Amino acid sequence: MSITAEKVAVNAVMAGCKPQHMPLVVAAVKGIADPRWGYHGPGTSTGGAGVLMIVNGPVARELDVNAGDNLFGPGWRANLTIGRAVRLVMRNVCGSLPGLLDRGTLGHPGKLSYVIAENEAESPWTPLHVERGFRADQSTVTVMAAQGPHQFYNQLSNTAEGVLTTLADDMRISGGIMGQPNYAVILAGEHMLTISGSGFGKAEIRRFLFENTKTSHAHLKRTHRMSGAIQPADETLTRPLVESPDDFLIVAAGGRAGAFSAYVPGWGSKRSSQAVTVAVEK
Amino acid sequence: MLDGILLEKAGVPSASIITDVFELTGRAMAEQWGLPYYKFLMMSHPIANLTETQLDQRAREIAPEIVKLLLQGQG
Repeated sequence: MSITAEKVAVNAVMAGCKPQHMPLVVAAVKGIADPRWGYHGPGTSTGGAGVLMIVNGPVARELDVNAGDNLFGPGWRANLTIGRAVRLVMRNVCGSLPGLLDRGTLGHPGKLSYVIAENEAESPWTPLHVERGFRADQSTVTVMAAQGPHQFYNQLSNTAEGVLTTLADDMRISGGIMGQPNYAVILAGEHMLTISGSGFGKAEIRRFLFENTKTSHAHLKRTHRMSGAIQPADETLTRPLVESPDDFLIVAAGGRAGAFSAYVPGWGSKRSSQAVTVAVEK
Repeated sequence: MLDGILLEKAGVPSASIITDVFELTGRAMAEQWGLPYYKFLMMSHPIANLTETQLDQRAREIAPEIVKLLLQGQG
């Protein structure tokens, strides 16, 4: 199968993109065609993954990709149409028609469009694309096969540990049966300031979440997420939510007001699909 | 399903088994991968929550079909 620039352009027009959106659409399509993203799985699975696209670098500002209020929609043409263009390519060019090749049991609204930008202007942290090996002045899109966003609330705490403890408690049992290849963690304005005010950078956030989202095998078996009889050692034997702290993608984005942030579980296993970052070329 | 299709394309006889709710998806996948007449086997859905005894029974029932398909080939 080949995905030509002409076919991408046709679908981008149908989605309502402007011509200047095209480089970002092309980069995202390159991302889902990368073997590490593993199109076959998230393109067909009953797990119903969307393509979460996280935009970094100058292109986010140039194209007015929203990084603030109503992060996941509605209100911004770029966020709505770029993601829609990618989904149309998936169904019209790759054949991932819902109910036929795309067998998502439930799907989710992000399968229509799931585009956000990182709020680099206000973030105290290293941008996602720089952490993943790109220069700050480069523009990129990170594509992640993803379930819907889970919002959490904490307005009581004024420390990083407090906010992240709430987040970890929400995340511990989430996503698929046995953890996910990646999680995106979207920290909005109030939480961003609270967490960074405690001296936490993204590396510290990842380490805290990794250590505090482990679940005992006994709990997983009691709640019928893991097969087999409970053995005495299962009470202390733990399963981490992801294989490595680096599998958490930390993103500063969302509105300034409101003690809400979100996490987005990835799809499948690390062998099946991993987040991929692609440079946007003009 | 895809593993079976890829094995068959590499010249290795295969017998893919899917559950019946994926029949149309299996056929569409075979077409997408260039083997529109790829033969595969089906059993009733679901299987993930079957007991070991039930699963053994399913295996016994479908084993002759697997042997037949592997010997007969896709031709």
